[in-house]
Order: sequence, then C-alpha cells, then structure tokens
Amino acid sequence: MSGVTNQSAGEARLQVAGLSSGYGPVTVVRDVSFSIAPGEILVILGKNGMGKSTLLKTIMGFIRAKSGSVRLDGSEIANRAPHLNAREALAYTPQEYAIFQDLTVEENLRLGVTEDRLLGARMGEVEAAFPVIAKRFKQRAGTLSGGEQKMLLLSRSLVSRPKIMLIDEISEGLQPSMVNRMAQVLRSTSAEKGVAILLVEQNLPFALSVADRYAILKIGEIVEQGDVAHADTAATLERHLRI
Amino acid sequence: MAILLLDILTTASMLFIVAAGLMIILGVMKLINFAHGAFLTVGGYAAHVVTAHGFSPWLTIPAAAAFGFVLGVVVERVVVRPLYSRPLDAILATWGLGIIIAQVIVFAFGREVQFAQSPISGTVDLFGTGYSSWRLILIAVAVVLGLLLTALLYLTRFGLNARAVIMNENLARGLGIDSIRVRAMTFGLGAALACAAGALITPLLSVDPNMGLPWLVNSFMLVLVSGIAIPGLALASLVLGGAQVLVSTFVSPIIGGITIVVLAAVILRIKPQGLSRG
Amino acid sequence: MADIPAAGRVPDATRRSSRQVWRTVLGAAIALAIVATAPLYLGTYMTNVLTRALFLAALALTVDLIWGYTGILTFGQSAFFGIGAYACALVFTHWGFGAGWAIGALVIGIAVAMVTAWLTGLLSFYHGASPLYSSIVTLALPIVLTQVIFSGGRFTGSSSGLSGFPTYYWKIDTWFWIAGVFLVVAATFAWLFVRSDYGRILIAIRENEDRCAYLGIPVSRIKTALFAVCAGIAAISGFGYAAFSNVVAPELAGFQLGTESLIWVALGGRGTLIGPILGAIGIDATSSYLSGNLPFLWNFIVGVTFVAVIILLPNGIASLITGAWRRYRTRGAGGGDQPRDSGIRLTAAPSVRAAAAAGRSASPPIRIDGLTCRYGSLTVLDGIDVEGKQGQLLSIVGPNGAGKTTLMRCISNGTERTGGTVTVAGTEIGRSSPQKIVGLGVGRSFQNTSLFDSLTVGDCLRLARYRIDGARPFYRSETVALPEPALEILAATGLDQRLGVETRYLSHGMKRGLELAMVLATEPRVLLLDEPTAGLTKPERTAIGHVLTRLAEEYGLCIFLIEHDLDFVREISNRIVVLHQGKLLLDGTVEEVVSSELVKAVYAGQDLEATV
Repeated sequence: MSGVTNQSAGEARLQVAGLSSGYGPVTVVRDVSFSIAPGEILVILGKNGMGKSTLLKTIMGFIRAKSGSVRLDGSEIANRAPHLNAREALAYTPQEYAIFQDLTVEENLRLGVTEDRLLGARMGEVEAAFPVIAKRFKQRAGTLSGGEQKMLLLSRSLVSRPKIMLIDEISEGLQPSMVNRMAQVLRSTSAEKGVAILLVEQNLPFALSVADRYAILKIGEIVEQGDVAHADTAATLERHLRI
Repeated sequence: MAILLLDILTTASMLFIVAAGLMIILGVMKLINFAHGAFLTVGGYAAHVVTAHGFSPWLTIPAAAAFGFVLGVVVERVVVRPLYSRPLDAILATWGLGIIIAQVIVFAFGREVQFAQSPISGTVDLFGTGYSSWRLILIAVAVVLGLLLTALLYLTRFGLNARAVIMNENLARGLGIDSIRVRAMTFGLGAALACAAGALITPLLSVDPNMGLPWLVNSFMLVLVSGIAIPGLALASLVLGGAQVLVSTFVSPIIGGITIVVLAAVILRIKPQGLSRG
Repeated sequence: MADIPAAGRVPDATRRSSRQVWRTVLGAAIALAIVATAPLYLGTYMTNVLTRALFLAALALTVDLIWGYTGILTFGQSAFFGIGAYACALVFTHWGFGAGWAIGALVIGIAVAMVTAWLTGLLSFYHGASPLYSSIVTLALPIVLTQVIFSGGRFTGSSSGLSGFPTYYWKIDTWFWIAGVFLVVAATFAWLFVRSDYGRILIAIRENEDRCAYLGIPVSRIKTALFAVCAGIAAISGFGYAAFSNVVAPELAGFQLGTESLIWVALGGRGTLIGPILGAIGIDATSSYLSGNLPFLWNFIVGVTFVAVIILLPNGIASLITGAWRRYRTRGAGGGDQPRDSGIRLTAAPSVRAAAAAGRSASPPIRIDGLTCRYGSLTVLDGIDVEGKQGQLLSIVGPNGAGKTTLMRCISNGTERTGGTVTVAGTEIGRSSPQKIVGLGVGRSFQNTSLFDSLTVGDCLRLARYRIDGARPFYRSETVALPEPALEILAATGLDQRLGVETRYLSHGMKRGLELAMVLATEPRVLLLDEPTAGLTKPERTAIGHVLTRLAEEYGLCIFLIEHDLDFVREISNRIVVLHQGKLLLDGTVEEVVSSELVKAVYAGQDLEATV
C-alpha cells in the first residue's frame, strides 16, 4: 500500500472529493464529495437522470473525471483503468447488462475471481448467502429468474473479496422478500468484512433499511446528506423525492 | 462420387483451417484483418525456410505458428491498436500492411515461385484411384483444430476472458479483465493460426509472394457467413466449399472460383447475422 | 414571406454564391492552362505516363465522392472502370471502329456500368444494412467481373486481355489534352456538386445516416443514384484509358485496382477531391517512373506511407496543408466556434400544415392499437393502445426499461414492431421505412444529441427541409424557409445568430434547441420527443417547456414526450401515460396519475402484485 495518509477524521475507505464528470461537453456529475468508512453503507438517492449511475461509472474509471479526486485507502485512483480498479478490490455492479447472459453461473462467478482456483475456496460464502446459486452452477445465467440473476450479481461481487462495492439499483424489479434478503446480505457483508458499500437506489424502503447514511443527488449535485437514523430523514426525503 | 465427396471434405477442411485465424480476430476484436492473406504467405515462406535448411517438414507448422504469433503481437501494438475506434480504417491499414509484408518477402526471397517439402507425400489408394495423402490429413487437422479452438475458448481462463470481452467489453473490464491484453493475445493467436495455415497448405501449392491473396476474400466471406462461431465456420466451409467443388466440377472451374463470394453475398443479404444466429 | 431580421448584418448571399462559382471557374481555367501547356515542357515519356495517371485520377475522384464524402467504403470502383475499358476494347475488336462505333461503345460502357451500379445499390443500400455489407458487395463485384472476363475465352481475351485493337493513333499530346480536359471538367462539376445543397446531404449521410433517414431523406435512393453516376464517370475514364493505351486486361476490373484507388484517396486526403487527384497522379506516375529503377522499394514505400497516413493522418497528406492554411486563416478570426457570416438567410415557410391539418381533423393524428414488440423471448412492449389527439401534449413516463424509447422506435420505424398497428392521420404505417413515416408527418428527436458534427447550423436546417424543399445539385441556395415554430426556437436559443457555426461547437443546450428546430422543420403533425431536456439547466428546461406547450396549443401538434423529471411533466402536459414493464399501466390526466398509488409504487420500485 502506498501513501500512509491516515486522515485524522477516521480512516475513509473511499473518499471522493470535488468530483465532476460527464459525456463530452456535458457535465453530468458536478463537484460531488463524500466519504465512506470500512463497514459503512452510503446510499445515493435521486430520480432518474440525475447522474447517479454516471457517478458510479466515474469512480470505477469508465468515465473520465473532469476534476476532483477519488481515493481508496488514501491513494488516488481517479481515472485509473477499470480493470485495475477491479483487481484492487472495487466490485462494481452495473444496473443493466450486469451478468453475462450466455455464460453459465459458474463462468460468471469465475469472472469474479482473478484466478480460477480461488473460486472453490470462496464458494462457501456464496452457499451461505444464496444457496440457490450454488445449486444452479452449470445453468446458463440467462435462464435464471430476475431475482436469481441479482443474487448471482452479488455472489460474483462477494467472491472477489472486495474492499468497496459499488452497486447500481440492485433492488429494481425485485419482490419484497428478495429485497429483504439482499439487504441482509449487504448489511452482514459490510459489518463482518468491513466492506465499504456505495449504493445507488430509487427504492426508498430498501435504501433506508440497509444504509447508514444517505446523500441526495439532484442534477448532478449532492443537495443533502445525512444519517439515516436521524429524526429529520423522513421529512428531508419527502421534500426532495416526492413524486 | 466418393472422390467428389472427398474433394468436398478436403476443400472444406482447407477453407476452415485458412479462415480460423481471421475469425478469431474478428470475433474478439471486431476487426477485419486484411493482412490475413499476407500472414498466410508468411506461413508458406516459413515452411519453405524450415525445409530449405534441412529440418523436418513436420517442424514447418509449429515454426510458422511461433513466428506468426510474434509477428501478430508486434503488428497489433504498432498498427492495429490505434485504430480500434475506426474499424473501416483498420481494414485499410491491415491491407497496407499486407502490401508491406509482400514487398519484404520479395526483398528477401525474390519474386519467383518456391516450394516447401511436404511432411507426407504421395497418394493413398482409395476407391481405385490415388488420392493425395496430405489432403486427407488436412481433414484430420481441421477437426483437431476445431476441437482445440473450442477447448481453448471453453475450457481455459483465457478463453473465458476472451468470451467475456466479446460479449460485453465494459463489463469484462469492470471485473478486472485487461481487455487490451486480451486483444493483443488474440491478434497474436489469429496471426499464428494464419501462418500455421499457410504452412499447412503449402504442400499442395507453390509458395510465392502473393499466394495468400486469393484466400483472403474467401476466408472473409466464410467468416461473415459463419456468424462468428466455430461450428458455424465448419458449416459455412462445408456448404460454400461444397458448392464451390460442385460448381467447379459440373459447371466450370472459373465460375467455381466465384461461387463462395456470390453465395456469401446472397446469404448475408437474407441473413445478415450469418448461419449460426437467429 | 417575411424575412426574419437578424441582429447582425444580412450577408449579401447572392454575391457570395456567385463568387464561389467564379472562383471555381478560375481554378478550372488555371488547371486547363496547366493541362494545355504541360506537354510542351514534359518529355514524351512523362506525357505518356501522366496521360494514364490522369484517367486513373478520374477514377480516384469517384472513389472520393463515394467514400470520402458519403462514407461508403467501396472496393469495387475498378469494376466500372473495367466495364468502360472492355466496352471500348470489345467493340473495337469485334464489331468495328469509327466515330459512330466509338460513341456507341462509350454509351454501352456507361450504360452497363450504371445499370450494374444501380443493381448493386439496390442489393446493398437497403435501410438498416450495415456499412460492412455494402463493402462486402463492392468487394465481390470486381472479383465476379474478373472471373466473367476470364471465362470469356477468345471473346474477352481471358487472362491476357485484348490488345492491338484499332484505335485513334493520335499524337501523345492530344491524348494528354483529352485526359486532362476530361479530368478538369469532372473535377469542376464534382467540386461544385459537393459544395451544393446536395453535397451537404452526402456529408450528412456519412456522419449520421440513421438521423438522415429520420429527417425524411431517402438515404438508400441517394446512395444508389450517387453510386450509379460515379460508375458512369469511372466507365468514361476506363474507356479513355483503354482507347489510349490500346490494351485491356482483367486487372483493370480487379479488386487490386479497386483497393489501390482507396490508397490514392486515403493518401491524398479523403473528402478533398484535389487530394485524391494529386494522390492518384503522384503515386501512379512515380511508380511508373520508378518501376524501372526501384520497383520493389517503391511499393514498399507506398505501403509504409499508406499505413502511417491511415494511423497518424486520417485525413490524408492534404490535411497537413489545409490544416496549416485553416490555422493561418482563422488566426485572429477566432476559429470555427465564432459566429461567422454563413451566407444563409432564414425565411418563413408558408404554413401548409395548418391548412392540411384543419381539413383532416376527422382522423386522429396518431392511433396505436395492440402494439407489441419482442426481441427473441423478451417482450418489451405488450399490447399498447394509445390515441394521440390534436393539440395534446402527452407525456410517457415509467421506470427504466419500461419500453418508452422502444415505443417511439415502433412508431417511427415500421420494421421495429412485432405486432399491432400504428395509424398516422388515417394512414396505417405498415412496414414503412423511417423516411416514409416522416413523410406521413411524424417527427422524432433522439435522446443523444448526435448531430452532424461538421455541418453548420444552417446546413442542418436545410437538410431538415430536404423532404419538403428538395435540394439542387451544383447550386447553393441562400435561404432556408422554415415554419414559424422552428424559427421561434432558433430565435429563443440564439441559434439564428450562429447559422455559420459548425454544430460540434454548440453548447449542449443549443444542440437540443437545434435538434428540436430540425424536427419541426420537417413540419410534423406528430412530434416524438425522447428526453428533450436531458442535461439541460433549469432555465433551459423552462424555455423548452414553454415552446412545447405553445406547439400543442397554438399549432395543434400532437406531442409524445418521454421525460424523467416528473415535476416538468406535471407543468407542461395535459395527459400522462404510464408504462411499466412493457404494459400500459395508466392513461389519464395529470391529477389522476399523480394521485395514483399504483404509480407511486412503481416509482418506489415495489412489487406490483403486493400493491394492487
């Protein structure tokens, strides 16, 4: 690990400061700052088209940051190639086309680890979290139900032993029972393994049941941040997110 | 009749062997390598050099493949990599590369026709007539090659990474796959296959600086018709190669020469995705 | 016909346009003078070499029109050159020789080439064809033709070709003049053509073919016509080449010559006309000259230069010179992003549509019945029924993946849907291509603002008027007549002051404005807008919202709007349709939808069954 930059204000696992990015001349994410400690879950809320997914893609390195910094355990990773970020324990779960439909469940999981032999040792975690995935090992991922595909997604992130998980709308289109299961797994992962999790969500009940803190993104800017447990939360959310 | 069937099988085998390298590159890199013909030629000359120096003709194939791999990796770095975002320009640049390779060969070996020794010569007595043994061996080579490529793609980590890059490059990168390296390796592999194919067909042909050219367009058409899949390529080779043999035998060899091109243009008009899809 | 007063001076466009013609004529005169005098100081050998090169340069010119300007990578232009050459050789060898025979042979050559090109165009330029497919067909063409020549036996001379047929044994200087004059004339017409209104369309097709189709431009027909005309020109040069050199061989129709002509164009600079001509002359003449001394080395140098140019200078060697010239010219002038004198004036178009719409109000502007769209096993839209009324602003909302954009696609392109019917003003769209549907009065804007980068604002607007006003070749019109709402948007966004600016220099908001103005310029009855305010600032959104409301209320348009910002939707629309997982969930007034528990549930991402 390079850079012994242990911040005084508690060591942040992921620290984003003044981050702006977009497509060509269009700026979609404007001057966004936040940090997440190990074992903490931050949820970014906001309506469609407000720049939530763009923010995740910028952190992961898919979209060039126009300015600002992204630090992982104190070292700068802004604009580093996505595959290098992935190898250094950033697990990114995109909203669309997130699994390889034409590959088997096993192959999808193998792609979560850097070497095939690591998968065997880590399958225990998958079995514990989502027994059904272990059973469907040889099945083509595209034949899984929507909920099972989401489980596969999380399983793939789990076997990669991430330090940070970036998750884009995992709850979309899921039954309530499945949403609860996802929330459980995310909470235990962050608590037990000290993973910092950044969620992007539109599903409020899910977001509030899983996250420690929230931030509201509006037209690319964070307009509000706070603790989920705080008394004002409900009122703040109502003000910003009502339909 | 039996001989005709053998002709179809051996022709299809040759087409499969020759087109495989082009298909691997197009499949993974979405890039049409118009230097493919020149790579075949390089393989032919590699075979010529190996046998001319008194080594066993069996060594020609691995030697050509090794040389092709190195050549491919270098070419990918210098010529191909800057053009990923301009696929039509990449066609032209690789065509230009083919011109350069042909000229380098002319410098080194002259324009005249050369020969490479065949690992196995002579004929086998089949159905009362002699049939070229090397042609028969090529059937086996094509089958083995098809199996090896399938194994490489479906049983190894490289194959898994390559398939992931084909299906969704961004997702693959997000999972830690260095797609640039996968592309470089793929181009090396495709070039190695092309050179090996060149060495494999030289026992049946002579070696000259433009020997690969007639194969280029046919390979290109086969690969597009195949729908970029190994079984598809086998099917396309059999169907189009078979049609070529039949037309050459019963109509005219000259029209046989354009059978593949014309049939491919028609098939692609009806099924733009090729034989193995939708 | 009221002129829109521009804040700046109104350029004297007429004078400007005629100046362009005079400048071209002057250039042509200089070129002709060079042609006339060249044989006097060139030796016989060089004159001979250059005469050949001039014919080949005309071939390169046609490749530049097809590939450089229109973006169709063709390997097959040599086939038409070969057809012209063989028309000459076959007629002179087998039938007769004389002025009548010569003219007859030329006509046959041109006709065969044009018909072949037209058939090739029909085969390969259908809507939705991949650019690769047309390249494949153009690759097959010379290969097939070469084999046909091979199989011709004594008639075509097979692989050795025909030679020694009677021809005009004029002095070498005369041939040079013929070739030179032909090239200069062809180049002059090409020069005026690419600068005409029609030429802009070629560039637009190159930059964004799909968008052209959605502006009602018959892309396939234009490409086919261009291909046929260029085939005719190539046939003439092939004819001249054969008559001059007195030899034809299958190589003249072959794929290698076709590819070589691409090299000339790429090296000289595609899309410049002059570059490819100089490239062809330079490379062909030098290689003839050097082939005695350093034949192999020369080809090697050409190969290396070609690859280097493709990689490092995609616009050819000419771009080094033109780039320097442009930098020199724009130094102090502020560059291409500054408003510049465009030579275009905007005028108001007579409002045809208002009258037409009034008379036709019996049938609704748009009616969708049982619309279904599937991709394989995935059902994206399932039995959608919607009717759009005149003057109605209907917003389509729903979560990601609900099928909103697919709905727009199914309305604007007849080949997209799997089942159901779409009826525009009483006409069922059937399997029509996008440009036909534009003709019925459907205008569609896109989610991403990929306009035509190297065209100016004025060019883009004229492009959008092609369907209604047409375009003249060899002529650059000075006015663009636009319907009133389009003019208003241009004025509101300040685009009317920037008609000469290339669109790539526009701000995102202006691009959105231009996009909307272009769609309105096609005079639609039904407007399909896919997130027209994405990425815009608050004031820009308000402005667009204002315009949309007026379009519906005052001009009676029926507007379908996809929008994520529900606040915005609530402000401007008078009806909302909610899509969810491909089904129509709700169709009602703003109040009904906003107060619906169902919609809240969908937006909160909850399970439907649980709430219903």
